[in-house]
Amino acid sequence: MEKSLEIIMDISEQMLLSGAEISRIEESILRLGEALGAKRTDAFIITSNMEVSLHDENGVSYTQTRRVPNVGTDIEKLHRLNALIRKICYGTITHEEIEKELKKIKASRAYSFGIILLAYALIAGAFTLFFGGSILEAVCSAVISLVLALIVKGAELAALNKIFSKFFCSFASALLAFVCLKLGIVATVDHIIIGNIMLIIPGVGLTVAIRDLFVGDNLSGALRSIEVVLFAFAIAGGYFLAAGLMGGVAI
Amino acid sequence: MTQILQIITGCLGSAGFALLYNIRGKRFVFAALGGLLATLFYILFGLFMENEILNYFICAVLASLYAEIMARILKTPTTTFIITSLIPLIPGGSLYYTMTGAFSGDFEYFVSKGLYTLGLAGALAAGIIVVVSIVKIVVRKR
Repeated sequence: MEKSLEIIMDISEQMLLSGAEISRIEESILRLGEALGAKRTDAFIITSNMEVSLHDENGVSYTQTRRVPNVGTDIEKLHRLNALIRKICYGTITHEEIEKELKKIKASRAYSFGIILLAYALIAGAFTLFFGGSILEAVCSAVISLVLALIVKGAELAALNKIFSKFFCSFASALLAFVCLKLGIVATVDHIIIGNIMLIIPGVGLTVAIRDLFVGDNLSGALRSIEVVLFAFAIAGGYFLAAGLMGGVAI
Repeated sequence: MTQILQIITGCLGSAGFALLYNIRGKRFVFAALGGLLATLFYILFGLFMENEILNYFICAVLASLYAEIMARILKTPTTTFIITSLIPLIPGGSLYYTMTGAFSGDFEYFVSKGLYTLGLAGALAAGIIVVVSIVKIVVRKR
Protein backbone atom coordinates (compact mmCIF):
# COMPACT_ATOMS: atom_id res chain seq x y z
CA MET A 1 0.00 0.00 0.00
CA GLU A 2 2.89 2.36 0.72
CA LYS A 3 4.19 1.69 -2.77
CA SER A 4 0.76 2.47 -4.24
CA LEU A 5 0.58 5.73 -2.31
CA GLU A 6 4.02 6.69 -3.58
CA ILE A 7 2.92 6.05 -7.17
CA ILE A 8 -0.30 8.03 -6.73
CA MET A 9 1.58 10.95 -5.19
CA ASP A 10 4.15 10.94 -8.01
CA ILE A 11 1.51 10.90 -10.73
CA SER A 12 -0.66 13.59 -9.17
CA GLU A 13 2.34 15.80 -8.40
CA GLN A 14 3.33 15.66 -12.06
CA MET A 15 -0.26 16.48 -13.06
CA LEU A 16 -0.32 19.52 -10.79
CA LEU A 17 3.07 20.65 -12.13
CA SER A 18 1.77 20.35 -15.70
CA GLY A 19 -1.17 22.63 -15.00
CA ALA A 20 -4.11 20.19 -14.72
CA GLU A 21 -7.36 21.40 -13.15
CA ILE A 22 -7.79 20.41 -9.51
CA SER A 23 -11.00 18.47 -10.14
CA ARG A 24 -9.23 16.31 -12.74
CA ILE A 25 -6.39 15.52 -10.32
CA GLU A 26 -8.67 14.63 -7.40
CA GLU A 27 -10.82 12.45 -9.63
CA SER A 28 -7.73 10.66 -10.94
CA ILE A 29 -6.48 10.04 -7.40
CA LEU A 30 -9.79 8.47 -6.37
CA ARG A 31 -9.76 6.21 -9.43
CA LEU A 32 -6.11 5.28 -8.92
CA GLY A 33 -6.72 4.50 -5.25
CA GLU A 34 -9.51 2.13 -6.19
CA ALA A 35 -7.47 0.51 -8.97
CA LEU A 36 -4.47 0.00 -6.69
CA GLY A 37 -6.51 -1.73 -3.99
CA ALA A 38 -7.34 0.91 -1.39
CA LYS A 39 -10.56 0.45 0.57
CA ARG A 40 -11.05 4.18 0.84
CA THR A 41 -9.19 7.11 -0.73
CA ASP A 42 -9.20 10.72 0.43
CA ALA A 43 -7.60 13.54 -1.51
CA PHE A 44 -7.33 17.26 -0.87
CA ILE A 45 -5.48 19.28 -3.48
CA ILE A 46 -4.94 22.99 -3.85
CA THR A 47 -2.67 24.74 -6.34
CA SER A 48 0.45 24.44 -4.18
CA ASN A 49 -0.20 21.51 -1.81
CA MET A 50 -1.41 17.92 -1.96
CA GLU A 51 -2.70 15.59 0.74
CA VAL A 52 -3.69 12.00 0.02
CA SER A 53 -4.73 9.18 2.38
CA LEU A 54 -5.25 5.53 1.49
CA HIS A 55 -6.98 3.06 3.82
CA ASP A 56 -6.37 -0.66 3.40
CA GLU A 57 -8.77 -3.48 4.30
CA ASN A 58 -7.20 -3.90 7.78
CA GLY A 59 -8.13 -0.37 8.71
CA VAL A 60 -4.56 0.93 8.52
CA SER A 61 -4.25 4.30 6.81
CA TYR A 62 -1.33 5.80 4.94
CA THR A 63 -0.98 9.54 4.38
CA GLN A 64 1.40 11.72 2.43
CA THR A 65 1.60 15.46 1.99
CA ARG A 66 3.56 17.25 -0.70
CA ARG A 67 4.28 20.91 -1.29
CA VAL A 68 4.26 21.70 -5.00
CA PRO A 69 5.89 24.94 -6.14
CA ASN A 70 5.91 26.54 -9.59
CA VAL A 71 2.94 25.24 -11.46
CA GLY A 72 3.44 25.50 -15.22
CA THR A 73 1.65 24.31 -18.35
CA ASP A 74 2.87 21.20 -20.16
CA ILE A 75 0.05 19.60 -22.12
CA GLU A 76 2.15 16.80 -23.61
CA LYS A 77 3.05 15.58 -20.12
CA LEU A 78 -0.58 15.84 -19.08
CA HIS A 79 -1.66 13.77 -22.07
CA ARG A 80 0.84 11.01 -21.28
CA LEU A 81 -0.07 10.99 -17.58
CA ASN A 82 -3.70 10.70 -18.60
CA ALA A 83 -2.91 7.69 -20.79
CA LEU A 84 -0.91 6.10 -17.96
CA ILE A 85 -3.79 6.56 -15.49
CA ARG A 86 -6.18 4.97 -17.96
CA LYS A 87 -3.85 1.96 -18.28
CA ILE A 88 -3.56 1.62 -14.48
CA CYS A 89 -7.34 1.74 -14.07
CA TYR A 90 -7.76 -1.04 -16.65
CA GLY A 91 -5.31 -3.02 -14.51
CA THR A 92 -3.12 -4.09 -17.39
CA ILE A 93 0.17 -2.78 -15.98
CA THR A 94 2.52 -3.85 -13.14
CA HIS A 95 4.05 -1.59 -10.49
CA GLU A 96 7.48 -1.81 -12.13
CA GLU A 97 6.07 -0.83 -15.50
CA ILE A 98 4.23 2.12 -13.94
CA GLU A 99 7.45 3.39 -12.36
CA LYS A 100 9.36 2.98 -15.60
CA GLU A 101 6.69 4.85 -17.58
CA LEU A 102 6.54 7.58 -14.94
CA LYS A 103 10.29 8.05 -15.10
CA LYS A 104 10.02 8.42 -18.87
CA ILE A 105 7.23 11.00 -18.51
CA LYS A 106 9.20 12.98 -15.93
CA ALA A 107 12.20 13.10 -18.26
CA SER A 108 10.11 14.19 -21.28
CA ARG A 109 11.20 17.57 -22.51
CA ALA A 110 9.39 20.62 -23.79
CA TYR A 111 10.11 22.13 -27.21
CA SER A 112 13.64 23.52 -27.60
CA PHE A 113 14.31 27.18 -26.80
CA GLY A 114 14.63 27.94 -30.52
CA ILE A 115 11.05 26.81 -31.11
CA ILE A 116 9.86 28.74 -28.05
CA LEU A 117 11.44 31.89 -29.53
CA LEU A 118 9.68 31.16 -32.81
CA ALA A 119 6.37 30.70 -30.96
CA TYR A 120 6.79 34.06 -29.18
CA ALA A 121 7.51 35.86 -32.46
CA LEU A 122 4.60 34.08 -34.15
CA ILE A 123 2.11 34.98 -31.39
CA ALA A 124 3.14 38.64 -31.07
CA GLY A 125 3.31 39.15 -34.83
CA ALA A 126 0.02 37.38 -35.50
CA PHE A 127 -1.92 39.32 -32.86
CA THR A 128 -0.47 42.66 -33.96
CA LEU A 129 -2.00 41.93 -37.38
CA PHE A 130 -5.16 40.51 -35.77
CA PHE A 131 -5.83 43.77 -33.91
CA GLY A 132 -5.32 45.87 -37.02
CA GLY A 133 -1.58 46.52 -37.17
CA SER A 134 0.50 46.80 -40.36
CA ILE A 135 3.12 44.28 -41.54
CA LEU A 136 5.90 46.60 -40.35
CA GLU A 137 4.32 46.84 -36.89
CA ALA A 138 4.01 43.05 -36.81
CA VAL A 139 7.72 42.69 -37.53
CA CYS A 140 8.64 45.15 -34.74
CA SER A 141 6.27 43.31 -32.43
CA ALA A 142 7.85 39.93 -33.27
CA VAL A 143 11.36 41.27 -32.60
CA ILE A 144 10.28 42.77 -29.25
CA SER A 145 8.65 39.47 -28.27
CA LEU A 146 12.07 37.79 -28.50
CA VAL A 147 13.22 40.07 -25.67
CA LEU A 148 10.17 38.94 -23.66
CA ALA A 149 11.13 35.31 -24.23
CA LEU A 150 14.58 36.05 -22.82
CA ILE A 151 13.08 37.86 -19.80
CA VAL A 152 10.74 34.94 -19.06
CA LYS A 153 13.61 32.46 -19.40
CA GLY A 154 15.84 34.62 -17.19
CA ALA A 155 13.11 34.98 -14.59
CA GLU A 156 12.68 31.20 -14.55
CA LEU A 157 16.39 30.62 -14.08
CA ALA A 158 16.55 33.23 -11.30
CA ALA A 159 13.40 31.71 -9.71
CA LEU A 160 11.86 35.17 -9.82
CA ASN A 161 8.28 35.75 -8.69
CA LYS A 162 5.89 35.38 -11.64
CA ILE A 163 4.28 38.75 -10.88
CA PHE A 164 7.63 40.51 -11.27
CA SER A 165 8.29 38.58 -14.44
CA LYS A 166 4.98 39.82 -15.92
CA PHE A 167 5.79 43.36 -14.75
CA PHE A 168 9.19 43.34 -16.47
CA CYS A 169 7.73 41.82 -19.65
CA SER A 170 5.04 44.48 -19.84
CA PHE A 171 7.59 47.22 -19.08
CA ALA A 172 10.06 45.99 -21.71
CA SER A 173 7.45 45.55 -24.45
CA ALA A 174 5.96 49.01 -23.89
CA LEU A 175 9.40 50.64 -23.60
CA LEU A 176 10.70 49.04 -26.80
CA ALA A 177 7.48 49.92 -28.63
CA PHE A 178 7.96 53.58 -27.61
CA VAL A 179 11.57 53.35 -28.81
CA CYS A 180 10.30 52.16 -32.22
CA LEU A 181 7.93 55.15 -32.22
CA LYS A 182 10.68 57.63 -31.30
CA LEU A 183 12.95 56.22 -34.01
CA GLY A 184 10.17 56.88 -36.47
CA ILE A 185 9.80 53.24 -37.55
CA VAL A 186 6.09 53.12 -36.71
CA ALA A 187 3.36 55.73 -36.33
CA THR A 188 1.65 54.30 -33.21
CA VAL A 189 2.64 51.95 -30.40
CA ASP A 190 -0.86 50.52 -29.83
CA HIS A 191 -0.77 47.43 -32.04
CA ILE A 192 2.78 46.49 -31.09
CA ILE A 193 1.98 46.59 -27.38
CA ILE A 194 -1.29 44.70 -27.84
CA GLY A 195 0.52 41.93 -29.76
CA ASN A 196 2.95 41.54 -26.88
CA ILE A 197 0.28 41.86 -24.20
CA MET A 198 -1.40 38.79 -25.68
CA LEU A 199 1.76 36.91 -24.71
CA ILE A 200 1.75 37.97 -21.07
CA ILE A 201 -1.99 38.23 -20.42
CA PRO A 202 -3.03 35.37 -18.10
CA GLY A 203 -5.56 33.77 -20.46
CA VAL A 204 -4.88 30.21 -19.36
CA GLY A 205 -4.93 31.20 -15.71
CA LEU A 206 -8.34 32.79 -16.22
CA THR A 207 -9.92 29.80 -17.98
CA VAL A 208 -8.50 27.26 -15.51
CA ALA A 209 -9.55 29.45 -12.57
CA ILE A 210 -13.11 29.61 -13.89
CA ARG A 211 -13.27 25.87 -14.48
CA ASP A 212 -11.97 25.21 -10.96
CA LEU A 213 -14.49 27.60 -9.42
CA PHE A 214 -17.46 26.11 -11.20
CA VAL A 215 -16.78 22.44 -10.70
CA GLY A 216 -16.64 23.03 -6.94
CA ASP A 217 -12.96 23.67 -6.18
CA ASN A 218 -13.63 27.09 -4.70
CA LEU A 219 -10.35 27.42 -2.88
CA SER A 220 -8.11 26.70 -5.88
CA GLY A 221 -10.37 28.73 -8.14
CA ALA A 222 -10.13 31.70 -5.77
CA LEU A 223 -6.34 31.38 -5.47
CA ARG A 224 -5.97 31.28 -9.24
CA SER A 225 -8.38 34.21 -9.71
CA ILE A 226 -6.36 36.34 -7.30
CA GLU A 227 -3.25 35.46 -9.26
CA VAL A 228 -4.93 36.54 -12.50
CA VAL A 229 -5.92 39.90 -11.00
CA LEU A 230 -2.40 40.48 -9.66
CA PHE A 231 -0.96 39.67 -13.08
CA ALA A 232 -3.30 42.20 -14.69
CA PHE A 233 -2.11 44.86 -12.22
CA ALA A 234 1.53 43.93 -12.89
CA ILE A 235 0.95 44.33 -16.63
CA ALA A 236 -0.68 47.72 -16.14
CA GLY A 237 2.15 48.78 -13.79
CA GLY A 238 4.82 47.85 -16.33
CA TYR A 239 3.04 49.79 -19.04
CA PHE A 240 2.60 52.85 -16.78
CA LEU A 241 6.29 52.94 -15.91
CA ALA A 242 7.36 52.68 -19.54
CA ALA A 243 4.83 55.22 -20.79
CA GLY A 244 5.80 57.59 -17.97
CA LEU A 245 9.51 57.28 -18.74
CA MET A 246 8.99 57.88 -22.44
CA GLY A 247 6.59 60.74 -21.79
CA GLY A 248 4.15 59.12 -24.17
CA VAL A 249 0.44 59.71 -24.10
CA ALA A 250 -0.82 56.84 -26.14
CA ILE A 251 -4.30 57.78 -27.26
CA MET B 1 -9.91 40.94 -46.58
CA THR B 2 -9.42 42.11 -42.99
CA GLN B 3 -11.63 39.25 -41.86
CA ILE B 4 -9.60 36.63 -43.75
CA LEU B 5 -6.42 38.07 -42.25
CA GLN B 6 -7.99 37.85 -38.78
CA ILE B 7 -8.97 34.22 -39.27
CA ILE B 8 -5.45 33.32 -40.39
CA THR B 9 -3.69 35.27 -37.64
CA GLY B 10 -6.11 33.95 -35.00
CA CYS B 11 -5.17 30.43 -36.08
CA LEU B 12 -1.43 31.29 -36.05
CA GLY B 13 -1.74 32.82 -32.58
CA SER B 14 -3.37 29.67 -31.24
CA ALA B 15 -0.68 27.57 -32.94
CA GLY B 16 1.99 29.68 -31.22
CA PHE B 17 0.43 29.06 -27.83
CA ALA B 18 0.11 25.36 -28.63
CA LEU B 19 3.90 25.36 -29.07
CA LEU B 20 4.42 27.20 -25.77
CA TYR B 21 2.22 24.72 -23.91
CA ASN B 22 4.01 21.75 -25.47
CA ILE B 23 1.10 20.37 -27.47
CA ARG B 24 2.32 17.90 -30.08
CA GLY B 25 1.29 15.92 -33.13
CA LYS B 26 -2.37 15.53 -34.05
CA ARG B 27 -3.40 17.51 -30.97
CA PHE B 28 -1.32 20.48 -32.16
CA VAL B 29 -3.25 20.60 -35.44
CA PHE B 30 -6.64 20.51 -33.72
CA ALA B 31 -5.56 23.09 -31.13
CA ALA B 32 -4.65 25.52 -33.92
CA LEU B 33 -7.88 24.65 -35.73
CA GLY B 34 -9.77 25.60 -32.55
CA GLY B 35 -8.31 29.11 -32.76
CA LEU B 36 -9.34 29.33 -36.40
CA LEU B 37 -12.91 28.22 -35.63
CA ALA B 38 -13.26 30.61 -32.70
CA THR B 39 -12.21 33.55 -34.88
CA LEU B 40 -14.46 32.36 -37.70
CA PHE B 41 -17.52 32.16 -35.40
CA TYR B 42 -16.67 35.57 -33.93
CA ILE B 43 -16.55 37.18 -37.36
CA LEU B 44 -19.64 35.35 -38.69
CA PHE B 45 -21.83 36.30 -35.72
CA GLY B 46 -20.34 39.80 -35.76
CA LEU B 47 -21.91 40.29 -39.21
CA PHE B 48 -25.45 40.34 -37.85
CA MET B 49 -24.99 40.88 -34.12
CA GLU B 50 -24.35 44.33 -32.71
CA ASN B 51 -23.75 43.15 -29.15
CA GLU B 52 -20.14 42.08 -28.93
CA ILE B 53 -20.46 40.72 -25.40
CA LEU B 54 -23.24 38.36 -26.48
CA ASN B 55 -21.12 37.39 -29.47
CA TYR B 56 -18.23 36.55 -27.12
CA PHE B 57 -20.52 34.41 -25.00
CA ILE B 58 -21.78 32.38 -27.97
CA CYS B 59 -18.26 31.94 -29.35
CA ALA B 60 -17.01 30.80 -25.94
CA VAL B 61 -19.81 28.21 -25.76
CA LEU B 62 -19.03 26.92 -29.26
CA ALA B 63 -15.26 26.86 -28.65
CA SER B 64 -15.74 25.01 -25.34
CA LEU B 65 -18.03 22.50 -27.02
CA TYR B 66 -15.40 21.97 -29.70
CA ALA B 67 -12.81 21.45 -26.95
CA GLU B 68 -14.95 18.90 -25.08
CA ILE B 69 -15.72 16.96 -28.26
CA MET B 70 -12.12 16.92 -29.52
CA ALA B 71 -10.85 15.91 -26.08
CA ARG B 72 -13.14 12.89 -26.12
CA ILE B 73 -12.27 11.90 -29.67
CA LEU B 74 -8.51 12.23 -29.11
CA LYS B 75 -8.70 10.84 -25.53
CA THR B 76 -6.82 13.73 -23.92
CA PRO B 77 -7.58 16.36 -21.23
CA THR B 78 -10.07 19.05 -22.28
CA THR B 79 -7.66 21.78 -21.12
CA THR B 80 -5.59 21.14 -24.26
CA PHE B 81 -8.22 22.58 -26.56
CA ILE B 82 -9.95 25.05 -24.23
CA ILE B 83 -6.86 27.12 -23.52
CA THR B 84 -5.78 27.23 -27.17
CA SER B 85 -9.18 27.69 -28.85
CA LEU B 86 -10.14 30.67 -26.71
CA ILE B 87 -6.84 32.52 -27.25
CA PRO B 88 -8.06 34.77 -30.12
CA LEU B 89 -11.04 35.82 -27.97
CA ILE B 90 -8.93 37.01 -25.03
CA PRO B 91 -9.57 40.76 -24.81
CA GLY B 92 -5.94 41.92 -25.02
CA GLY B 93 -6.87 44.89 -27.17
CA SER B 94 -9.49 46.36 -24.88
CA LEU B 95 -7.30 45.68 -21.82
CA TYR B 96 -4.63 47.80 -23.48
CA TYR B 97 -7.04 50.66 -24.26
CA THR B 98 -8.22 50.52 -20.63
CA MET B 99 -4.63 51.03 -19.52
CA THR B 100 -4.08 53.95 -21.89
CA GLY B 101 -7.26 55.53 -20.52
CA ALA B 102 -5.99 55.17 -16.97
CA PHE B 103 -2.58 56.51 -17.93
CA SER B 104 -3.79 59.59 -19.77
CA GLY B 105 -6.23 60.40 -16.97
CA ASP B 106 -9.27 60.19 -19.22
CA PHE B 107 -11.58 58.83 -16.56
CA GLU B 108 -14.65 58.29 -18.71
CA TYR B 109 -12.70 56.44 -21.38
CA PHE B 110 -10.98 54.35 -18.68
CA VAL B 111 -14.23 53.34 -17.00
CA SER B 112 -16.12 52.58 -20.21
CA LYS B 113 -13.22 50.53 -21.65
CA GLY B 114 -12.61 48.85 -18.29
CA LEU B 115 -16.22 47.77 -17.90
CA TYR B 116 -16.24 46.63 -21.51
CA THR B 117 -13.13 44.48 -20.90
CA LEU B 118 -14.70 43.01 -17.79
CA GLY B 119 -17.84 42.31 -19.80
CA LEU B 120 -15.88 40.44 -22.46
CA ALA B 121 -13.93 38.42 -19.87
CA GLY B 122 -17.18 37.68 -18.03
CA ALA B 123 -18.84 36.53 -21.26
CA LEU B 124 -15.92 34.19 -21.95
CA ALA B 125 -16.15 32.86 -18.41
CA ALA B 126 -19.91 32.37 -18.64
CA GLY B 127 -19.54 30.50 -21.94
CA ILE B 128 -16.99 28.12 -20.45
CA ILE B 129 -19.11 27.62 -17.33
CA VAL B 130 -22.25 26.72 -19.29
CA VAL B 131 -20.45 23.99 -21.21
CA VAL B 132 -18.54 22.66 -18.18
CA SER B 133 -21.76 22.41 -16.16
CA ILE B 134 -23.74 20.68 -18.91
CA VAL B 135 -20.94 18.23 -19.67
CA LYS B 136 -20.64 17.41 -15.99
CA ILE B 137 -24.34 16.56 -15.75
CA VAL B 138 -24.33 14.50 -18.95
CA VAL B 139 -21.19 12.54 -18.03
CA ARG B 140 -22.46 11.77 -14.52
CA LYS B 141 -25.78 10.46 -15.85
CA ARG B 142 -24.08 7.78 -17.93
